[in-house]
Amino acid sequence: MKESNPVLRAVQVLFRDYLVLLMIAVLVAVTAIIEPKFMSPLNLVNIMRQFGPLMMVSLGMTFVIIGGFIDLSVAGIINLVAVVTISLIQPIGQVPALLTGLGIGAACGLLNSAVILSSGALTQAEALFLTFGMSTVFSATALLYSHGSTMHFWDIKTSKSIFETIGAGTLGPVSVSFVIFLAVLFLLWVFQTKTTEGRAISLTGGNKTAARLSGIGISRAIVVIYTICGLMTGLGAIVLFSRITTAAPVIGAGYETNAILSVVVGGTTLKGGKGSVLRTVMGVLLVVLMSNCLNLLGVSTYLQVAVKGAILVLAIWLDNRKQV
Amino acid sequence: METVGSDIILSIKDVSKSFPGVHALDKVSIDFRRGVVHGIVGENGAGKSTLMKILSGVYQKDSGSVVFDGRSIEHTTPYESMQRGLAIIYQELNLVNTMSVGENVFLGRFKEMKGMRGTHANARKLLDSIGCKVSTTKLISELSVSTKQMVEIAKALSFKSKLIIMDEPSSSLTAEEMAELVKIIHQLKAQGLSIIYISHKLDEIFEFCDIVSVMRDGRVIDTKPKSEFTRNELITKMVGRTIENEYPPRPRSVGETLMEVRSINTHKLHDISFTLKKGEILGFVGLVGAGRTEIVRALFGADKVRGHRVLINGKSVAIRNPREAKDAGLGFIPEDRKLQGLVLPFSVESNISMASVANFSRFGFIRKSLERGIGARQVQALSIKTPSTKVPVVNLSGGNQQKCIVGRWLEISPSIFIMDEPTRGIDVGAKYEIYVLMRKIVEEGGAIILISSELPEVLNMSNRVLTIFEGRITGEFEPESTPVDTIMSAALGLRGGAA
Amino acid sequence: MNGKGIGASLYSIVTRQKAFIFILVMLVGMIFSRSNFYSAYNLLDMLNSTSILLILSFGVTLTIIAGGCDLSIGGILVVSGILSIKLQDFMPMGWAILCAIVFGIAVGFVNGFLVVHQKTEPFIITLGMGLLLTGVAQELTNAHPVPAKNPAFMMIGNGDFHGVPNLVMIMAVCFALSYWLMRYTQFGRNLYAIGGDYDVARYSGIDVIRTKWLAFVISGGAAALAGVLLSSKLNTGSSIYGELTALVVNCGVVVGGTSFAGGIGGIPQSALGLLVFGMLDNAMNMLNITSYYQVMLKGAVIVGIIWMDCFANKRRREFV
Repeated sequence: MKESNPVLRAVQVLFRDYLVLLMIAVLVAVTAIIEPKFMSPLNLVNIMRQFGPLMMVSLGMTFVIIGGFIDLSVAGIINLVAVVTISLIQPIGQVPALLTGLGIGAACGLLNSAVILSSGALTQAEALFLTFGMSTVFSATALLYSHGSTMHFWDIKTSKSIFETIGAGTLGPVSVSFVIFLAVLFLLWVFQTKTTEGRAISLTGGNKTAARLSGIGISRAIVVIYTICGLMTGLGAIVLFSRITTAAPVIGAGYETNAILSVVVGGTTLKGGKGSVLRTVMGVLLVVLMSNCLNLLGVSTYLQVAVKGAILVLAIWLDNRKQV
Repeated sequence: METVGSDIILSIKDVSKSFPGVHALDKVSIDFRRGVVHGIVGENGAGKSTLMKILSGVYQKDSGSVVFDGRSIEHTTPYESMQRGLAIIYQELNLVNTMSVGENVFLGRFKEMKGMRGTHANARKLLDSIGCKVSTTKLISELSVSTKQMVEIAKALSFKSKLIIMDEPSSSLTAEEMAELVKIIHQLKAQGLSIIYISHKLDEIFEFCDIVSVMRDGRVIDTKPKSEFTRNELITKMVGRTIENEYPPRPRSVGETLMEVRSINTHKLHDISFTLKKGEILGFVGLVGAGRTEIVRALFGADKVRGHRVLINGKSVAIRNPREAKDAGLGFIPEDRKLQGLVLPFSVESNISMASVANFSRFGFIRKSLERGIGARQVQALSIKTPSTKVPVVNLSGGNQQKCIVGRWLEISPSIFIMDEPTRGIDVGAKYEIYVLMRKIVEEGGAIILISSELPEVLNMSNRVLTIFEGRITGEFEPESTPVDTIMSAALGLRGGAA
Repeated sequence: MNGKGIGASLYSIVTRQKAFIFILVMLVGMIFSRSNFYSAYNLLDMLNSTSILLILSFGVTLTIIAGGCDLSIGGILVVSGILSIKLQDFMPMGWAILCAIVFGIAVGFVNGFLVVHQKTEPFIITLGMGLLLTGVAQELTNAHPVPAKNPAFMMIGNGDFHGVPNLVMIMAVCFALSYWLMRYTQFGRNLYAIGGDYDVARYSGIDVIRTKWLAFVISGGAAALAGVLLSSKLNTGSSIYGELTALVVNCGVVVGGTSFAGGIGGIPQSALGLLVFGMLDNAMNMLNITSYYQVMLKGAVIVGIIWMDCFANKRRREFV
């Protein structure tokens, strides 16, 4: 093997592993130059606001992908949790409603894992189709439950202060949702890197057979990853409708692709095993920043969808080249 | 360019081939005559497979010359090789399971055969010419191994092959099927074909080969007509050293019964019951597909099996999954280390610590400090050659990879170690190290169930062997005091094997 | 053998012929419903509305048999449909349609490059491609359906020939063509070999890369054709049919007996599988099931069928 210049090697590593960071830096720099409004405090606050829902869902999705699977049902879960939770604030009170919402998210994830385990599905492709089917079921349930109607905060006569705080409150200079994000991130990071179950998930994603034959409970790992994803998605749904103060039964549309995009762009490989919630944070940051920049540059929402698709394709392609 | 005599169909001169870290072939030279069955013997790892893969075009040689039927062959592909008239029938069989016999014979030549009708008609003719009666519309997945081999032979004949190489064809055949194959070999010879027959079974070589080449450690030791070899001479040249030095002395520390297994019954296994004693190495001998791996997987909880009983130290234990097996004191080294045993992109350290995560965590939290020691400890104890414990385990050689898996289990000191083909694809030096390790494990009170397709290995290492044929235990022997033929008969399901 | 043997063979029949059984169940069920299901008009109408999905399925089947899959067909469908209408502002109808189909072929080419040449996982990368195209479609139309101005264009998708709708005839031609391709040509047989065992196919001299690549190209072309026909039928180019369609069609192919594992199945099987969904839609409408329940039922059917396919694969799979 040729011994190459250490500086060159450092640059190569930088490009390979931290491509995302580089892309963020370039994007920020370019936009700041073209559109000075980008650096205004209003815009920066706006960016931070965008974090919440996508971040929660993506963090949950990270676990599923590290475990070697995928979850296409998050859009449906968001729809369901949003419409049910908002409708329960008045009848049963906001705290019970909040807990119920989270519970539904977790239950949906649990159901996903039950379907996958009972069918014996062990590949990502099988999980893709199964969770897609579940998404339609969840979304349909949301439609049925809400009769297709959208509910607004102003329809609720009792206190909804918790949700309002989540949506718009601040704690000093930062928003409440940002604080929630930090707390959740810390918990998930500790779980992923420092617990035995986190290690079990990572090993399951690395090689399911080898993990199982080493005595690792891969069935339990599957239940855990989907339940976490469901729970985090539920949390994301709550943050979402708290922010926009309405819950329509189609509110979750597009979240599955954005979440997968964030995870992949952040550097967690779709092949499973290796990855990190911290990388996903970077991925979400990039996706949010990109939307923001494209908005400021006047690019239409539809074209943004196309751009996201293109970047997903690109990211997967590069990820694949790295592995092979 | 060399000129070769017209009675030589294939001439190999000074062919060498290396892979990273391994010299697979070292200046191999052999002349193969027309119309002759030329046997190539050698132990696993001698280089026979590599040589054949170079001839058939799967690998490219590093240096040397190959002249086939008067033409010099440089870079080639498997298909070109077949078109030239050199066919090879691999041990793993080159057939598409989901397609029919007829289509497999003419795979990729549908148009030449003028469609489905032509394909099946011509396949029928070829199969009939070797006396095989299987229907050409049957799917490959429904066939027995020996019938699949016939399909491969038909495929070779369809290319008007002049030379057919058979790579270890007998490993999954019963005695009757083997007799069929020998008949076909003689038939092909009578038709003017040349045959290269690769095997490590001396009896077959002596039975129907005309000329024999012995390979060892990537070199050709000798090439002579069979009649000029004695059996002992062949063995010595194959092995290169006296048998005593190839295996450590048999462990002599067998104690009382450690484990009792009663009545494993699945759709493949029938009433499997046996015991395992402390300090013993119990070998499972049988053909590929006889059920040896199925037995240990059932025991280890890897497959869902119900209705059997396992007693360890007299107490009944429930083993429904690998985790319970681990808790009961079992360890398992699977057959295919790359697919079933290792997480290839992960570090050596992670692969070694995989089974003992509970040992270095408290209250569900991992203590990195405790884990760090594990990797270093096993690397040292087993002399695993690796630049560090942090490198991906895929970078290590086969032998060292296998040691990682062994080390993984040693960390939790299982009392019962199941090893399925532990030395497959490992060079001779590393093999010996693993044998020594096995001996150490049983001397310290453990017990090993050893599955190996290498008869010398399993016979030399085991205190006791069970022969398994078609899912049944057909015999129990002590290899030290039993003739090899008796054991082999039982493994092939013939009468005379003690039950 | 004994009771266990009968149960096992019954089980294998059900799992291998799930499409057939589903259709049988529906047909029987609809006998008891007091609706017009069994009228000639309805049956023909059902075939007509499923034709587009059927054409899509013929293309996708090629990729699945070769061991991959194509989830970008929804995106190709909408973009080519929109193109076929919008381009008529600049060129005659015939040329516009041709360009739209060429577009689909080009996308198929890119898919083939990524999946076959670059060896990426097909399901997720074609999903991304579909997303990309959906965005493009929405951009092209500004999310408003684009009406067609040419009455001749509309006749393609809505006209009939002696009572048989054009769509059904076009679909029948596609069926015959793809059936012939898969069963009677070297290309088709090679696809089965590639899906059955990639390495064996390679060693047998089959140009695996070019053949599998071509499967994706054809899938793209078929999707584009379906898109043009759909635009013609609705007389508008709309962007809403994207994602769901791709997944439904791929599921339908699996229902029919073509497994994602590759190497097995065929065009008639896929057609049967898609008919399950077509019949389901039609039956649900006949029974006046509200649209929300329809979506849920369809989702449940998809889950159920894929579940059964996974379960069957579990038994087929050897060691984990």
